[in-house]
Amino acid sequence: MNMLKIDNLHVSVGDIPVLNGLDLEVPTGEVHAIMGPNGSGKSTLAHVLAGRPGYTVTKGTVSFEGHDLLALAPEERAHQGVFLGFQYPVEIPGVNNVYLLKAALNAIRKQHGLAEVDAFEFLTLIREKMQVMRIDDSFLSRGVNEGFSGGEKKRNEILQMLVLEPRLAILDETDSGLDIDALKVVANGVNLLRSPQRSIVLVTHYQRLLDHVVPDHVHVLVRGRIARSGDRTLALELERRGYDWLSEQAA
Amino acid sequence: MDSALATRIATEFAAAMPQLPAAVRSAAQRQAAIARLAERGLPDSRDENWKYVNLRLLEKVRFAPADGATTPALTLAELPPRIAGYARYTFVDGRFAPALSEPIRYAGVRVEPMDHRRAEASAQAQPTAAAEDSLEGGATAGAAADLRFALLNDAFATDGARIHVAAQTQCATCIELVFVASSAGKTAASYPRVDFRVGAGARVGLIERHVSASSDANFIISAVQVQLERDAHVQHYRVQQTGARAICFDTLNLTLAQNACYRLYGLNLGALSARSTVHAQLMGRGSEVGIFNVSVANRSQVHDTYALVEHVAPDARTEQVFRGICGGRGRVAFNGKIVVHQGAHGTDSSQVMRGLLAGAEAEIDLRPQLEIYTDDVRCSHGATTGKLDEDMLFYMLSRGLDRETAMRLLKWAFLQDVVARIEVPELRRQIEQSLARELNEAAALKELL
Repeated sequence: MNMLKIDNLHVSVGDIPVLNGLDLEVPTGEVHAIMGPNGSGKSTLAHVLAGRPGYTVTKGTVSFEGHDLLALAPEERAHQGVFLGFQYPVEIPGVNNVYLLKAALNAIRKQHGLAEVDAFEFLTLIREKMQVMRIDDSFLSRGVNEGFSGGEKKRNEILQMLVLEPRLAILDETDSGLDIDALKVVANGVNLLRSPQRSIVLVTHYQRLLDHVVPDHVHVLVRGRIARSGDRTLALELERRGYDWLSEQAA
Repeated sequence: MDSALATRIATEFAAAMPQLPAAVRSAAQRQAAIARLAERGLPDSRDENWKYVNLRLLEKVRFAPADGATTPALTLAELPPRIAGYARYTFVDGRFAPALSEPIRYAGVRVEPMDHRRAEASAQAQPTAAAEDSLEGGATAGAAADLRFALLNDAFATDGARIHVAAQTQCATCIELVFVASSAGKTAASYPRVDFRVGAGARVGLIERHVSASSDANFIISAVQVQLERDAHVQHYRVQQTGARAICFDTLNLTLAQNACYRLYGLNLGALSARSTVHAQLMGRGSEVGIFNVSVANRSQVHDTYALVEHVAPDARTEQVFRGICGGRGRVAFNGKIVVHQGAHGTDSSQVMRGLLAGAEAEIDLRPQLEIYTDDVRCSHGATTGKLDEDMLFYMLSRGLDRETAMRLLKWAFLQDVVARIEVPELRRQIEQSLARELNEAAALKELL
């Protein structure tokens, strides 16, 4: 059973076509890495899946667990279990980290007919996840990503993912800007979420994250299409040879 | 000013004059104010700093004050909850109401009604011979033009609070003034008045509230004079929460001596039309003024604030922060002007104004202005008006928050830049609750309150 099935997806930003007939299937329980050179459409794909405004789907379909994903509003996608880990998480001063995350969890629980988590339960839950992500207590009283370093922002994304427990996590360059220790913490968080019921799409430019989160499949995106798919050795080959040979083939 | 309006003001003044208490303003002082008004006129919408407020509302109100004989039977329950530790002095339609007041005696702090016949303890009421000058008269020519509404108060004032704080008094939790308007503006006006003098080295907290006792269209013209001696520190919270049909004009005139520090928190929530004029003069070296304002306007409300700060002495600091949210067909204007006079070297000032449009027909006008006549100053300013930040909104949606909740949180966060500065926890809670109501979000924001 496919968690995610993308068929012949064409997406434009303004008048500029960015995705040009992309096909991708991610079976339930698998981790797929999407790699590719700058400007190949990796982030566009991540944002389109999360429903960000400003992207126009001109052709093609995306189904998530058999349903039309593109017909859903961003918040509905989240309720159904889609999570986007942002490459550049935004700072929202004045909105507390805990408040946002608790509101998010309860919004999702509500959609599934579950009772709201009370403040005490939630604090216990989040403290446990904070420990995993090595986030200190000051986080609890700060605004969303307010004054966070690049690495703290990325760890916060994974923390949110651990709390919200999505069915499909799309992580957009979550490894960029991380030092090796932070990379291991982030990878550990991602690995904790791996399960037969869950799929993960890692969008990344480099292969080093894949040393720590070993993907079931690797796809290379070139000029808005999947130019090549393979197992994890493809990532190693890309590390050795770069992207140029694929770009030339695609042309 | 429209000459019909001028004539009407003069006529109403002549009729009211015999009943106006000489203890508050002498007949000569009142007549001087009216003469000055006749000469200068009230501002009109062609005046640079008066473009936004609807001055035509003046055609529908009476200027003479309520006679005080028909003061409504208000109870404490109808007033805002008290703030623990703050003495409360309530004025109804510009007259002291002892039954609604709960004075606390602090050593070094003297509060008395200007109309001392109304003082609850005659021993405390020593007439200070109406010493204070007119607000407008004491200002520089450039500033005086914008203080002309205070002349109406100078002429018609019925009572007021005279607060004198002795040097070195420590009274951070101190005085709350509640001005209640009850008369309908078409029958009578309300004239809140405050003379607040803080001695050297004293620390004082003052809360000044303006509320309505009825849904009538109150007409309120307040005048507040503040004077800080050297090293005095004042936190002044002004909460404008008058009724939905109220028309308010207030003028605050302020002087600071050496190293004095004054913070004004202006919270504009109510009224149909509220114009606030603030004039601060940094007369002493190293003095400091902070002006932190919030306006939330909906329906067809107008909130117009003009804050002029004059740096006269060197090494003084100014910080102006404004946050305004405007929905419906409302209009919010904040015009902040800083003048750095010759010799005021070492001036450090910043102005940050942000507006948030929450309705297609809403309008926000932000105007940071700087006039610098000396070298060696650091002055920064910025003003932005926009809609809610799309990136922030999408981030929250992508986490599963519904659109309404996300927008509400963003509005809330936007105002927190100012609201979080309120250092009186109970007052801050009250303000947050009022803001939540004003944003129609009380239930949804309950966890944050």
